[in-house]
Amino acid sequence: MTFLSDVFAQALNGLAYGVLLFLLSVGLTLIFGMLDVVNLAHGSFYMLGAYAGLTTIAMTGNYWLAMLVAPLAVGVIGALMERTCLRPLYRRSPLDQVLLTFGFIYLFEDLVKWIWGGKIRSITPPEAFSASVQVFGATVPSYRLFMIVFGLVMAVALWLLIERTRLGAIIRAGVFDAEMAAGMGVNIDLVFTGVFAFGAALGGLSGVIAGPIQSASPPMGAGILVPALIVVVVGGLGSLKGSLVGSLIIGQAETFGKAWLPGASMVIIYVVMALVVLLRPQGLFGRALK
Amino acid sequence: MDFQVTRRRFLATASAAAAGAAIGPWVVRAHAQTGPVKIGLVLPYTGVYAVLGESITQAMELVFARENWTVAGRKIEMIKEDDEMKPPVGIRKTEKLIDSDKVDILTGPVHSGILMGMRDKVHNSKTILIVSNAGADDISRARCSKWIFRTSFSNWQPCQPMGGWVANHVSKEVFQIAPNYQAGKDMMGAFRETFLPAGGKIIAEDYPKLGETDYAPYITKIKQSGAKAVFAFFSGTDAVNFVKQYDQFGLKQTVKLTGAGFLTEPDVLPAQGGSALGIITGHFYTPLLENSANQRFVKEFREKFFGKMPDGFACQGHDTAEVIIRALKAVNGNTQDKEKLVDAIAKVEFDSPRGRFRFDPKTHNVIQPYIYVREVREVYGGLNNVPIDKVADVKDPGTGCTLPA
Amino acid sequence: MIARLLGLGALVTAVVAFPAVAGAYPVKLLQEILIWGVFAMSLDLLLGYAGMVSFGHSAFFGIGGYVAALALKSSPGALSALVVPALVTALAALVIGLFSTRVSGVYFIMLTLAFSQMFYAYAFQVAWLGAEDGIIGVPRPTILGLNLGQATPFHLYLITLCALAMLLLWRVVRSPFGHVLRGIQENEGRMEAVGYAVRRYKLVAFVIAGTIGGVAGSLYTQLNLTISPDAFFWTTSGEALLMVIIGGTGTLWGAVLGAAAFILLQSLVSSYTERWMLILGATFILFVLFAPGGIVGALRRRARVRT
Repeated sequence: MTFLSDVFAQALNGLAYGVLLFLLSVGLTLIFGMLDVVNLAHGSFYMLGAYAGLTTIAMTGNYWLAMLVAPLAVGVIGALMERTCLRPLYRRSPLDQVLLTFGFIYLFEDLVKWIWGGKIRSITPPEAFSASVQVFGATVPSYRLFMIVFGLVMAVALWLLIERTRLGAIIRAGVFDAEMAAGMGVNIDLVFTGVFAFGAALGGLSGVIAGPIQSASPPMGAGILVPALIVVVVGGLGSLKGSLVGSLIIGQAETFGKAWLPGASMVIIYVVMALVVLLRPQGLFGRALK
Repeated sequence: MDFQVTRRRFLATASAAAAGAAIGPWVVRAHAQTGPVKIGLVLPYTGVYAVLGESITQAMELVFARENWTVAGRKIEMIKEDDEMKPPVGIRKTEKLIDSDKVDILTGPVHSGILMGMRDKVHNSKTILIVSNAGADDISRARCSKWIFRTSFSNWQPCQPMGGWVANHVSKEVFQIAPNYQAGKDMMGAFRETFLPAGGKIIAEDYPKLGETDYAPYITKIKQSGAKAVFAFFSGTDAVNFVKQYDQFGLKQTVKLTGAGFLTEPDVLPAQGGSALGIITGHFYTPLLENSANQRFVKEFREKFFGKMPDGFACQGHDTAEVIIRALKAVNGNTQDKEKLVDAIAKVEFDSPRGRFRFDPKTHNVIQPYIYVREVREVYGGLNNVPIDKVADVKDPGTGCTLPA
Repeated sequence: MIARLLGLGALVTAVVAFPAVAGAYPVKLLQEILIWGVFAMSLDLLLGYAGMVSFGHSAFFGIGGYVAALALKSSPGALSALVVPALVTALAALVIGLFSTRVSGVYFIMLTLAFSQMFYAYAFQVAWLGAEDGIIGVPRPTILGLNLGQATPFHLYLITLCALAMLLLWRVVRSPFGHVLRGIQENEGRMEAVGYAVRRYKLVAFVIAGTIGGVAGSLYTQLNLTISPDAFFWTTSGEALLMVIIGGTGTLWGAVLGAAAFILLQSLVSSYTERWMLILGATFILFVLFAPGGIVGALRRRARVRT
């Protein structure tokens, strides 16, 4: 019985981690799906969200307010970045766009260091979720439970938004055929900026959510980028469902890898990705490659 | 072709050259004796570990300022280079300081990888290096060098005494955890040296990857193992993440968390917040020490640096600068005779904030006057490492190091 | 034409004679620029000519560097310094390339990134590769009777090898093979339709680029007498990409200029300001936006405007 409850405890850990990966990667996959841009600066949005959250809490002491302010702030930054730097590049090769976002990694990291300093900072979990609870014999921090619930609710909400609303229809039309959609009177420029900003905001939100569990420091953006990219590739670039399934799978793989295969913890995530790219390059739910 | 003029000119030039050759070195040496003493610093000034680089540098500046930036009639010049915690950059900057700036004494680095990478260059160029942080045991063992001294610590030192102490005061059933690299493994090994003979039992060991952000699987394993205490080593962001998550899982009350001092040093304590309360660590320093040298150090440091409290890294910087000053005074500022300077450094002894400071002639590593056992408590209006016990005279074994006596 | 050759001659002379006028540290910077220039140039073959964006090029830098380190420690000679690293890297490039060229675009980026990260993780953890400290105390080889432990012979040796590598790349690019690559970059579908085995061409380009990248890695080990896992990390590839872009994609020589710009920024600017990363990032962004041809492109435009 204890073996099962041990496994259950780790599975719960894996779920929490997977949900965090989902929140982190969904913005990235949305941006790719819409704009065909692999935004390497997505990790920077995560970092900016964490710092925006930090400052909000320092000024107001209210974690829930930070959850609102951070994505808004990062969304604005994303919109600015798209309008000024990315838009001129749409006519050029998508690879130019990828490279531009790479430059932003350096820029954002140093900017954060300049404004907030290089010291390690941290966000405390909100009062309501600072203790740990027992779930079927497994000890889980209540904050992680909150994260799981929040993440799954987010997933459903996003799905509804994309599949069931007019706004979602416009976005899907733009993804499918931007010219056509423009011809039908859709302000494609605005949609592009909006989607990028929205993706950025999601990245920022994940930074605030992760805050209580992890510390905040300027290099944190570069550190989270690779897991996010891997999740997106495994799930399928541009697919919301893929992002969710991919992150849950990787969350479990990483967690059980750390628990059972100690030496391999550094490589597991890369091996999973390499296998997926080789066997099913478009990822689990991605568009089939030409 | 004026043969005579040529020969005369040749003789004149030759004798001038000969005179110059005879006198020249004296002139150069005299100038070198009156020009500034150049101290090179290879430290991180950018990145997460920049706070360590800053602490070390600030303490050195404090000590040099006390002496009015002069020693034996010569000015002291500090040349700082940012190594970004990257070995290729660290090596490049080391070469700049040695070859280009021709520093008299080199100090630093924080990163052990950079230390190992610069070791050969330093040894072969006969440059005096005073290691002001990097704890790689090897520098005091197989890869020691008579030109290399260390004022900070070897990774072994803070951990070895903790083994016996934890066995006798906390629990004999311990789970060890540290990042998966040499320093982590060395520290865990040092702990076992006194833990096992004291009747201790290692329930399990785990080595998460360096830079891990989610320790949940490991913490769950700790809980499932039934261990009564944990001995951990983490530093920087890893220390913050681990301590926070450990607290969030509610383990602090049932499985005592102990570790190497870096787990709760002032660079990570503010971010850890209340999660760090009650953690017991071993370190050679805490700003709360009551000896007079430390009280003076803390007072002057806070005055000079806007209320900032010194930490272990600052103490390292302080001692590095003190060693430099005292050794140079002992040789009257003669940096040309390196052998003499090395001897002078080896003989330096003084009252440091950590206690009575002296080098081990066998390894050129500092003999820790004490390793203090400290507990994180809320005192003096903030979180601090309060000394609750101590172990005296901790000397690195120096296995494999054979320095000329 | 004559003017060009004279200019080139002057440049080569300046580089060769540099140690005579400059101290050891500037010479070291120059040597690093040459090595990184070769590395970036080999990446330009992929990026600028074949249109393949690889974030895994550091894998070859690391393989070349580590193989050279291990080989030189056991027998310091030309074989260990150059031949063995090149062969091993070529083999690795073949294997990795076989897998990677099955996909393209962003998937290619990700797969190549994954490979170099796997190497990084392995090198970081295993004792026989020195774990996180890497391999230190690598001796300089003695080649053709010259003891490369001495500064001057090493400088000449390094220049010669870098020049050879650059010339090789230049020849490849100007050859019919190079033209096919450019055709593939422009329109892969068309090239397939016309009957070219596109994937095979890409694979060969990948192997050539990887091998030269490995040679750069082995030269790096010989310069620093040490190699660490950092060499494998994906940001090393990223920095090489930065060098190519800043210098001018698809110009080959631009990569060397880009390498110079990057290293000088990193080494010199960092001595004066802590904000060098900001400057680097901003410079890179500005180049991508306004000077897509890089430094070389900008120079060429000015030359055209003048005439």
